[in-house]
Amino acid sequence: MEKNHLLLTIVTPEKTVLSDKPVEAVTIPACGGEMGVLPGHASFVVQLKEGLMHYKEGQHKEVFAVLSGFAEIHQDKVMVLAEAAELSREVDEERARQAYQKAKQSLAVQGADLDLDEANAALRRAAVRLKLAEFRRTHKK
Amino acid sequence: MASLRDIKKNISSIKSIKQITYAMKMVAAARIKRAQGAILASRPFALKMETLIEDLYSELGEADLAGTPAHELFEERAEGGTLCLVLVTADKGLCGSFNTNLLKAAAAWLKENRGRKIRVVTVGRKGRDFLHRLKGLDLEIIHEMVGIFPKAGYVHAQLLVDELLKLYSDKNVESVTLIYNEFKSMMTQQIVTGRLLPLKRSVLEKKTCSTGQCGVFSFEPRKAELLSALLPRHIGAQLYRTLLESQAAELAARMNAMESASKNATELIEGLTLKMNKTRQAMITTELNEIVSGAEALGG
Repeated sequence: MEKNHLLLTIVTPEKTVLSDKPVEAVTIPACGGEMGVLPGHASFVVQLKEGLMHYKEGQHKEVFAVLSGFAEIHQDKVMVLAEAAELSREVDEERARQAYQKAKQSLAVQGADLDLDEANAALRRAAVRLKLAEFRRTHKK
Repeated sequence: MASLRDIKKNISSIKSIKQITYAMKMVAAARIKRAQGAILASRPFALKMETLIEDLYSELGEADLAGTPAHELFEERAEGGTLCLVLVTADKGLCGSFNTNLLKAAAAWLKENRGRKIRVVTVGRKGRDFLHRLKGLDLEIIHEMVGIFPKAGYVHAQLLVDELLKLYSDKNVESVTLIYNEFKSMMTQQIVTGRLLPLKRSVLEKKTCSTGQCGVFSFEPRKAELLSALLPRHIGAQLYRTLLESQAAELAARMNAMESASKNATELIEGLTLKMNKTRQAMITTELNEIVSGAEALGG
């Protein structure tokens, strides 16, 4: 491991997205706000909320949408346990928009209160995906 | 004796059954690879989750833990409360003894706890139907999840966890038991009856500050809150694994059952073809006999 590198691992229950990938900097959506991590960061355990996660590796930048989870930073290793993580290019903007609309509608109807949490979660997820798609659009130019 | 036409009909129907069973076998075989892959892919998450919980717990004193929602999940509860059962079965039949054995195990468990108030969460159509048929028990089906196989995802596990935790905290549930089929190998499945809640303390007490990293971590939000947010995910990961195991076991069972069904069909077809040929031969012989005797009668 090089001195000025972080090892980034992202795992979700369904797959391992990244495993010990050397990167220069990571930004994670902590529950108290965005948090930048550079090599030599203090050991930290943090809860994540749904949001965008960036990492930088040389000139190469990559953006993920993570949907709530945890991150552990220890000895220049960043371990992200997320419920879902999606690469920006995997996100379908149109579908996200549709999901957003649908979630909003089902929230407006407010049928059985049992589905309320689920609808809220779906809304947040869709919002993150939309944000990601927007981010991708603005940074492509 | 069956007529030639009957046998022919019989053979052709067996042939089409064989085609179906063979196709089902191939489908199961193709899906099982993906199911096994999903099990493997879910392992790192569960492992990392455990290390994270261990790390967190080693930082956390017993005093910090007392009284938090996280602590409640570990606490043994007084006996005599309601019992909760999570039964994971398949949605479809035609997978050998997969469901039968599960339902037998469930029935045995229910018999053992006869007279107690029992609440059930079922996954899979077969289990649900079985429990609906039961009468004379103090049984309440809280939640049923049908039609998730063979595409069980973490979302489903998450839903189950939410439901279970709500049940566990609101109602006076003594313990949550899990009955499912574990995927041992392609040939064998094993029925597991395990306790899901309260959580085993052994998860926590593996290494307390053995690595000497005590006090190095900072936390956001506070430790206890973090742990209470982490534990549902831990249970979720466990349940997710359960669902995947059951899914793979179902496919393996179906593959084996369908393979032997195809084999049996082949044997049946062989036997029937032999019988058909014999019947045809017998018919020809009788006909010949008749012709010869007829000719003799005319000529004589």
